[in-house]
Amino acid sequence: MTTKEEIIKKSPYKPKLVEVIDYHRETNDTFTIKLGWKLKHEPGQFVFCSLPGIGEAPISICSHSDNYVELNIREVGNMTRFLSKIKKGDKLLVRGPYGRAYPMDKFKSHNMIIIGGGSGVAPLKGSVEYISNNRGDFGEVSLFFGFRTPEDVLFRKRLDVWKDEFSMYINFDRVEGKTIYGGKQGFVTERVKEVVGDNKDAIVFICGPPIMIEKVAEILIDKGFDEKQIYISAERLMYCGIGKCGRCMIHGKYTCLDGAVFRYDELKDYKDD
Amino acid sequence: MVKGHIEMFKKSLLFQMIMVQFTIDKGDFEGFLRKVIEKYDLIGPVEGDKSKLRRKSLFRKIVSPDELFLEKKTYFPVKGYFFDPKETLFEFDGDKIIDPKIELKKKVFFGLRRCDLNGIMHQDMVFLDENEDPFYKARRDASFLIGLHCNEGDDYCFCNSVELKDFFDLMFYDKGKEYAVEVGTKKGEEFIKKFSGVFKKKDKIITEEDRKIRNKKKLDTLDIKDNYDDDSWKKGSDLCVGCGACTLLCPNCHCFTIEDEVNFDLKTGKRVRKPASCQLRHFTRVAGDHVFRNEKLARFKHRIYHQIQYFKDRHEEVFCTGCGRCIEGCPARIDWVKIINEMK
Amino acid sequence: MAKPKVGFYDITGCQGCLLSVIFNEDEILDIINAVDIKEFRFIMGEKYDGPLDIAFIEGAVVSKEDLEMVKRLRERSKVVVALGTCACHGNIPSLRSFNEKNIEYLKYDKKNEKQKDFGEPSPIIKHINVEYCVSGCPPDREEVKRFIKEILLGKTFYNYQDPVCRECKLNENGCLLDHDKICLGPLIKGGCRAVCPTSGLECYGCRGLIDDASFEDYFKLMKEKGIDPVMVKKHMETFAGIEINEKLKGTKWEKLH
Repeated sequence: MTTKEEIIKKSPYKPKLVEVIDYHRETNDTFTIKLGWKLKHEPGQFVFCSLPGIGEAPISICSHSDNYVELNIREVGNMTRFLSKIKKGDKLLVRGPYGRAYPMDKFKSHNMIIIGGGSGVAPLKGSVEYISNNRGDFGEVSLFFGFRTPEDVLFRKRLDVWKDEFSMYINFDRVEGKTIYGGKQGFVTERVKEVVGDNKDAIVFICGPPIMIEKVAEILIDKGFDEKQIYISAERLMYCGIGKCGRCMIHGKYTCLDGAVFRYDELKDYKDD
Repeated sequence: MVKGHIEMFKKSLLFQMIMVQFTIDKGDFEGFLRKVIEKYDLIGPVEGDKSKLRRKSLFRKIVSPDELFLEKKTYFPVKGYFFDPKETLFEFDGDKIIDPKIELKKKVFFGLRRCDLNGIMHQDMVFLDENEDPFYKARRDASFLIGLHCNEGDDYCFCNSVELKDFFDLMFYDKGKEYAVEVGTKKGEEFIKKFSGVFKKKDKIITEEDRKIRNKKKLDTLDIKDNYDDDSWKKGSDLCVGCGACTLLCPNCHCFTIEDEVNFDLKTGKRVRKPASCQLRHFTRVAGDHVFRNEKLARFKHRIYHQIQYFKDRHEEVFCTGCGRCIEGCPARIDWVKIINEMK
Repeated sequence: MAKPKVGFYDITGCQGCLLSVIFNEDEILDIINAVDIKEFRFIMGEKYDGPLDIAFIEGAVVSKEDLEMVKRLRERSKVVVALGTCACHGNIPSLRSFNEKNIEYLKYDKKNEKQKDFGEPSPIIKHINVEYCVSGCPPDREEVKRFIKEILLGKTFYNYQDPVCRECKLNENGCLLDHDKICLGPLIKGGCRAVCPTSGLECYGCRGLIDDASFEDYFKLMKEKGIDPVMVKKHMETFAGIEINEKLKGTKWEKLH
């Protein structure tokens, strides 16, 4: 029998220290940190970052590599504001990975449509990297990304590569002056409506503000897509990541164990639950 | 969890019934308890905390057997002994994480009702799954559970309607001059051996009649899948003043919040967890001030559906133990059992 | 990092809130070490008129002098904290605004030279913008400490948002509503460790409303218990009356008296 000291030593709530190997401002309210953390993970999973005294927050992994973990963070609350002050070379307390990933194996040889809005592009970046690393496994890939303005574009280095590798459609809520990446003014929803054909074979990932997810999904279903072709991400408050604290429950499903990626038919009736 | 896992997991939790039965004379009962108190911390139901002006029955450390209150189930659940309302997850000093120390003396619980025991079983399912919670486990490992069978329910409980399971180390049945004792586990068997003087082996003394619980209240159906959009849920939420007592008194509810408490040096402190309630609006508030289940109605339905359906979907057990504490403790006595019974 | 310059001030009030800062016997020295206290008339004689990082003000605005003082403090402070129920909600001083008749004896102060032509007493937050409210009559000393620590850390402070009942139940109390007491627990922000209900006194709501207080259901429950809604309303007006009356505007309980 294990003693209680040994049990507590293995506590799942206990984070471990990893090094910040890169820090990079993306826009004026978002930044990306790269952690020297050899973590086996799948696209769509997330980790918890801890700052003792400040708190802990779940952040989705935005890269796909066995050698490092990248996190893209928008400054919205106490925790993220403090995280933004971190520097290259600092140590950060983390635990993870958590969550059910996109079942990428199932999508082999399918066409992929990836739709992201604002900071919702970040969790999708890992899956696009996965597709890029295993390009031969997938059919046609279309990316639809929406940002507020050209200044709010995330991951420019990646987009520079992806614009040649995939079909990429960028939209901005507002364009004053010059646009970039051929981005048009208007919502992602309009672009999806205009560009996406009757593609019965494609798998769709959507991540972004709840209202955007809802509208895009409606448009796709109108176009004849099945609910089972569409995968969406849910965002909830969570404290534990292991199905205990009960905060992230959506109609009986734990976002931390059964999500944050859900198939559209699992969640569609309970978007505000 | 996958189905096979659930089966295995349940087997490890649900005690293999050991069909040995004993009796203990009521004349020996007090002496037995005194011996228990000498060796362990005895936790049992008392009529109320003496320091409180408006007392309600609850579980407390027993110093003398005459403190025990065995007439009916307690107002407060026993869960605080396993799921500490202010558990320190770890202490920190800058980036250094320090494991907390918990001092635990072995505790013997006496007077747990079937609803209390099933509540513990449900919390086991949550906290002792593949992501084991070490604090809960430590507290559970140091506990020995002795039940006391209810023959009569009170005005609020309806445990016959929710398929309670046998889950105990020992279970006491009141037989007038003596208690009949049923052994549930190996641990229970060994415990009896330590007090072999007072327990007399007597097979088949517990009859079907003894095992019955007469409830005044009944929940007609456990199938509410198709009633989610029923208007009558409003009958409940329209009475709710939003105090959250229902969840805090529930023997199952285990939702929590995690907070950092820092000292004035701003460097050292601890991370603690405290019970939370899904009936309060801020339960789901995310950064940017969005609140899911913003309406009381949605929160009310969430509570009842978790009790009746969600947990069953995941663990194949009805979460609700039918104790009725959420109705008894509610200032407006919202009777959700009646609301469900009156649905079509 | 330089210690923040902090001042503790009081306008019309009982000074109980300032005492609740000092009454942290175990940690008062930590507080004094952590910040640079420029003025605090309970513990030092010095006056200070320079710029401040944080100004704590207790009390209600009842005269021109009070108003001038809070305006001046606003001008020279980066962060202003309304400390206590008078500063946040008006408390007892503003109670007389709700009593049009019968309570003449509460009005004698109006003849006072200071308050001539000034109007009804009101909370600080009606006159100046404040960054934070730490309510309570007096404020909970644990919350005062938490506030100071979080501000020192650079965090945005959030008030405790759950109702008093949560802590009351965790303290293992029976419910006062079951004893037909007009306990405002379900409507009022906790964080006070439910000290009043725990010692048997019903909650009078000194910490202000939670953001989704269920008035309708509360009045309904009281009516069922046979308690006169006028009594309930008067009870509500005791501490956070101004806030509660604003919330009740346009409802059938607006004109109860």
